[in-house]
Amino acid sequence: MKVALDAKRCQGHARCAAFAPETFVFDDEGFSRVREGFENVKPELQEKVRRACTNCPEGAITISG
Amino acid sequence: MTDTKTLVQNFDFHGEALDSIFATYKELREKCPVGHSDKYGGFWFLTKSDDIFKVEQDPETYSVRPTMLVPPVADFPMIPIDTDPPELTEYRRILLPLFTPQSLAKMEGPVRDVARDLAKKFVESDSTDATAMFARALPTIFFSRLAGFPEKDWPKFDAWVDDILYERTKDPKRAKAAEKAVVDYFENLIAAYKGRTTQEANTGTIIDYLLEAKVNGKPLTKDELLSYCYLMFLGGLDTTAWAIRASLWYLAQDLKAQRYLREHPEAVPTAAEEFLRTMSPVQAMGRTCKVDTTIRGQKIKAGERVVLLFGAGNRDPEVYDNPEEIQIDRQDNKHLAFGAGHHRCLGSNLGRRELVIALEEFLKIVPEFTLGDLSEKWHGVGRLTLNIKK
Repeated sequence: MKVALDAKRCQGHARCAAFAPETFVFDDEGFSRVREGFENVKPELQEKVRRACTNCPEGAITISG
Repeated sequence: MTDTKTLVQNFDFHGEALDSIFATYKELREKCPVGHSDKYGGFWFLTKSDDIFKVEQDPETYSVRPTMLVPPVADFPMIPIDTDPPELTEYRRILLPLFTPQSLAKMEGPVRDVARDLAKKFVESDSTDATAMFARALPTIFFSRLAGFPEKDWPKFDAWVDDILYERTKDPKRAKAAEKAVVDYFENLIAAYKGRTTQEANTGTIIDYLLEAKVNGKPLTKDELLSYCYLMFLGGLDTTAWAIRASLWYLAQDLKAQRYLREHPEAVPTAAEEFLRTMSPVQAMGRTCKVDTTIRGQKIKAGERVVLLFGAGNRDPEVYDNPEEIQIDRQDNKHLAFGAGHHRCLGSNLGRRELVIALEEFLKIVPEFTLGDLSEKWHGVGRLTLNIKK
């Protein structure tokens, strides 16, 4: 499973931080990105990332594979 | 029985209309998901979650000018919410660093201290009003400190907020007078900030951030500063108080949920999202069409107002199973309580944390409580009478 975040869509709701804090990091204005090295989601983080994806109000997170 | 045409034409989302608004939303969503009300100069309303998200994410077609509020709460554009990109982005950038997850982590302790103190005082006092003692007091204390509103002025705030937000549809003159009082207040406060000696200067408050900010290389003008302060005043105090009050109002009547959350404080954040979905302090915000457009087959002309009914979208059965039910363990919850797109509530992360911490501390400290006056409604920031089991 892979995760990607569309920076153009992110509006800083930070819901991904609530569900998958290991996978997402924030810049100084509160916009999210996938933490380096976490693009391939480890099995133990997959459920968390799935929930981050379904709870992102902007639909900025996509998962594949 | 009111017929659908009358319901649509007279649709309102303020004051007493809120008493039964969820039944109204349901009927409108089913019979007329995009309709036109004659209230407040006339506006189109959207009830479907998907339609609302699309408008929120399309600033090219929908402007917030002249104001996002229907009816208006100020006779000047409020910064940042009444501005469109790109200037919106510049204005928001000033305060975004204050509300990142990293910044919020630092506020955790101070918010909790305030919540704990207030909950203890509420238990010890003879008052049964959880709004005055807790729901309103928490943001008044915490947000005012963050914003830099001096403590001596706090007692004036509730009446100003009530007049501007809750009296405006009933008594516009009173709302206008309060608007002027708040603008005058900030004019004096900003002058006092500017007159400080360097030793006193910059304690990292919101007002300090605004005074130091540069937009396109220039400091904010006096009007810009006043406008931004005015919006912070309304946005930072009332909405959070409503969210806390509504959550307690619900828990006072659902003892099973109250007991569950007492035993499982880790479930509070998920429950808080559900309270925000179903009893959102901001039920709606407006836009103006910049060009002729069509929503769900309905033609809307350039210049016409469109009201996004977040409260209706939040109960859209196409998005939520059993949407009218408050399920404190609801897993997928992309509600619109804070809006979306470029205008996502700037303070959403703070508002969420204040609500979660408020509920955690209240449940930890206050014994089982029930609603003392069944005539009290879910909405607003009026009295909330709680009977505490002694």
